[in-house]
Amino acid sequence: MIGQKLSAYRHDLSHHTALSHTTIFMLLAASIAALVLLNICWGSVPLSLSRLWHCLIRPDGSTESLIVWKIRLPRALAGVLCGGGLAVSGLLLQVYFRNPVVGPFILGISSGATLMVSLVMLTSIALQIAFLGPFATALAAIAGAYGVMAVVVAIAARVKNGITLLIMGLMMGYLCHAVTAVLMALAEKQQVKGFVLWQLGSFSGFKWIEIWLLAGIGSLLVMSVYLMAKPLNAMLLGEEYALSMGIDVRRLRMAILFCACALAGMITSMAGPVAFIGLAVPHMARMVFSTSDNRVLIPATLLFGALVASGCDFAARFLLSPVELPLSAITAFFGAPVVIRLLMKKQVQL
Amino acid sequence: MTRHIEKRGKSVLECKGLSVGYKNAPVIRDINIGIERGEFVTLLGPNGAGKTTLLRTLSRHLQPVSGTITIDGRDIRDIRQAELARIMAVVLTEKVSPPLFDVFQFVALGRYPHTDFLGRLSQRDREVVQRCLRAVHAEELQSREFASLSDGEKQKVLVARALAQEPAILLLDEPTAHLDLKHRMEVMTILRHLCQSEGIAVIASLHDVDIASKVSDRVALVKDGVITHFGYPEEVLTSANVSTLYDFDSACFSSHLGSIELRGDCHRGRVFVVAGMGTGASVYRTLAKQGYALSTGVLLSNDLDCFVAKGLGAECIVHPPESAIPVETLAQALTRISKCQAVIDTGFYASGAYKNNLQLIEHAATLGKPVFSLRQQDTAPDETRLCGLTPVNTTSQLLEVMEERI
Repeated sequence: MIGQKLSAYRHDLSHHTALSHTTIFMLLAASIAALVLLNICWGSVPLSLSRLWHCLIRPDGSTESLIVWKIRLPRALAGVLCGGGLAVSGLLLQVYFRNPVVGPFILGISSGATLMVSLVMLTSIALQIAFLGPFATALAAIAGAYGVMAVVVAIAARVKNGITLLIMGLMMGYLCHAVTAVLMALAEKQQVKGFVLWQLGSFSGFKWIEIWLLAGIGSLLVMSVYLMAKPLNAMLLGEEYALSMGIDVRRLRMAILFCACALAGMITSMAGPVAFIGLAVPHMARMVFSTSDNRVLIPATLLFGALVASGCDFAARFLLSPVELPLSAITAFFGAPVVIRLLMKKQVQL
Repeated sequence: MTRHIEKRGKSVLECKGLSVGYKNAPVIRDINIGIERGEFVTLLGPNGAGKTTLLRTLSRHLQPVSGTITIDGRDIRDIRQAELARIMAVVLTEKVSPPLFDVFQFVALGRYPHTDFLGRLSQRDREVVQRCLRAVHAEELQSREFASLSDGEKQKVLVARALAQEPAILLLDEPTAHLDLKHRMEVMTILRHLCQSEGIAVIASLHDVDIASKVSDRVALVKDGVITHFGYPEEVLTSANVSTLYDFDSACFSSHLGSIELRGDCHRGRVFVVAGMGTGASVYRTLAKQGYALSTGVLLSNDLDCFVAKGLGAECIVHPPESAIPVETLAQALTRISKCQAVIDTGFYASGAYKNNLQLIEHAATLGKPVFSLRQQDTAPDETRLCGLTPVNTTSQLLEVMEERI
């Protein structure tokens, strides 16, 4: 009898928490919308909401309209999309490795991209591929990120132990960094500055085609991730238990790594390696929703990631305007204390 | 709620010519065992014997090197992983501590093979989770954070999670390691109960031979790459088998007592203990622990003291219980006494078969041997009052006095 009552009570409780979850989700969505508006309106050329509305609805040839459509809107959307994607990618890898200090770049994705970009930006290879023009950097980053991803997934198919994979990823990262360091030593000062700035990430300069790619492929990937929520929950007990509960662990491992690397690789190729969002945001989501249930955490990290990235981008532009601060510096200022605080409160043990 | 156990005799899990281990290096060869519904089977053996490897092969975490495993007559390789999860569940030694999981949610993870693609719990799923929590006496823990539980509580919850899969077979790798005595006993009782009331076949590797002998329906002894024995614990767990299994040289498993006696190193002198009817058991253990070599007698061969003394490697003068102790045997005991440094009277009940043992004490006194008596002098009947004894009240006092006198 008591058991039944308790069960009924629990049922009510979970219903109640589900309700408050919805509230948090709505608050998050509203905050993101507000930040996006702020990001578009604020700047060296401030826009009022009505003016913005006008530019959005009836774009004319005016400077303001151009600023909105060519610069600020793509940048604001890029922040939302990249932040969400990086955060989901980080969550996936944290669950897979059962390690709280893992982020989307732990497997060398960003290092691979950085290596290829350094080749383009710091050497004379760029001269030979000049016909690629402005796309050279993005293409190089894609090649680097997905090259590393291919290696990681190929290794994962053979190695069963997650730790081994983790260490291999770290080592590949070091190797790529070593090559990059050599190139930097040999390169000219001006080139190095440009490269260093690229390494710190930025949401500026996004083209609409990139936004559409991010939105299209990104949402496909995130939806696939959501469909994996149930096996991801079982993965929280480790691969051995997951297998005993009927999961094809090998396939799941490949799917997790593919989705995580594909998201992180795509974003890195467009925005550069944006640090800390993938690492810190999943912890924020865990703390706010106080759950490890990936059915909640996946949408939660997606929204938190978008919110944090938009917020950091705004801070990067606002704090010392007109000078724009490097994005990764802001995300680190924000992310590192969050992680430290959570670790001190012992809430991020996975 | 309890399912009736199907008629015994048909194996739910069967291994035929099974070799387990890793490529080219089988750890255990040629395993042929069948396990029935509702049966508790224990794997015993030294560390590294391959108990875990066998369990991992049964749970399909490892491929068999050769041979087959069948479940209800079906080859395990023909069963899909998802279906296997509804037949078999495991409790591993690996420590798990997922954060932000309450106990109910944790156990609900066990419903994995039964829920829809998003893992939503139906009313029935919730009921099963409740039932499993009840089965391991962990209902009151259900809203607690899993990570905050003690080792013992976690183990119970891990068993509940496995039960939530509603398996017919439950595999447990050292389920009592790291647990305190209370939880050790509780977990074993729970598992025993699951076999009997739910008809679940339990296969567990254990380190405690004494617990295994009391809880198992059958035991398998694993040593040197083979299963040396498989059968009822009463038949398999003999003193000799257990000693060989673990390479005991200073310990001995007593199948009658179901416990392990630790032999002393006999670095001190030899003492003769006149005991009987259980009065000697604790005295023997204390003396052996302190390093005295032991002789004892005359004991009837079915006396508890006799089993303990033999387990401790004492020299025993024994007589079968069906007849009175003859003078010759007493004389034999006296010869022994003459070679010992001291004699201890445990205060045994000196009547019937053991009445004549009092003569041994008397003789010892006349031989000039120090005789220590734990007998309550005031309450002892007149005819058992002896002179020339050093009375002691407790075993600790006995040790002190012996220290001085020997």
